[in-house]
Amino acid sequence: MFVLSGYEYLLGFLLVCSLVPLLALTASKLVRPSRRGPERRTTYESGMEPIGGAWIQFNIRYYMFALIFVIFDVETVFLYPWAVAFNQLGLLAFIEALIFVAILIVGLVYAWRKGALEWS
Amino acid sequence: MNLAEGVQVVSFSLLSLMMLGSALGVVLVSNIVYSAFLLGGVFISMAGLYLLLNADFVATAQVLIYVGAVNVLILFAIMLVNKRQDFAPVPRAWIRRAATGLVCVGLFLLLATMVVVTPWAVSTQVAAGNSAIVAIGKHFFNDFLLPFELASVLLLMALIGAVILARRELIPEQPTAPAQPPALMLPERPRELVSAGASRSAQK
Repeated sequence: MFVLSGYEYLLGFLLVCSLVPLLALTASKLVRPSRRGPERRTTYESGMEPIGGAWIQFNIRYYMFALIFVIFDVETVFLYPWAVAFNQLGLLAFIEALIFVAILIVGLVYAWRKGALEWS
Repeated sequence: MNLAEGVQVVSFSLLSLMMLGSALGVVLVSNIVYSAFLLGGVFISMAGLYLLLNADFVATAQVLIYVGAVNVLILFAIMLVNKRQDFAPVPRAWIRRAATGLVCVGLFLLLATMVVVTPWAVSTQVAAGNSAIVAIGKHFFNDFLLPFELASVLLLMALIGAVILARRELIPEQPTAPAQPPALMLPERPRELVSAGASRSAQK
């Protein structure tokens, strides 16, 4: 039994969204010239010339940023119920949440000091 | 205004089909990047199913963490490894396939019996929407306080471990370090790919 309200808008939105790529691809198929050649196979037909393959090895720093992002993403999800129930929880919960954040800030400071947030 | 019963049934079947299709794709597609994107499809369908079960906070967390973060992490890991290769066919692959199938079917049967046997404590009053989030928040700061704070410590451990693992001195150096461009930059363009662009610029 579905009791949440307001989700019919989400459904309509999803339906419209699913039409967007369909319409875009169909429209460009109708409009575009059917010319063949090496230029047509490039990623950006009128843009910069691609250099090399797309399968290059990425720097590990991207992975580092993604990992740090995951950690603070999880923290956000943990803190969200606290923020919603803030009025009913009181001072003790506030202190507990501060402890939660402080433990993670220790990690952020550590990562910062070790230069994990810097390029080059 | 709620969604009509028929709409729910249709959404449920669509989401289930999406989930099963993407899950099969994760296993069967040979390109590992496509597998990773299809895994995102599985996570999104799961979020939709959570939403149909009135668990909007869980659905949000699913999208935020699994689709937004874990899947991105998996993709980055694939890009970091950077191996596109066709694997040679293994002799007597059917033995391995049969063993894998057996293990998977056994696991499925185990989980299915567990789902059927467990006496789920279904509460009569459904806490949905904001009241559910408030209930979760109250549990976090009363009886689940220790796991809540331990989660923070666990995240701290993950963060510090990642920083230590990714530190410069632990990354194996390339043998020709000065000549090699850093992996961040694009490699030198292979000559044979240039022909189209080079001939065009020569005509100018």
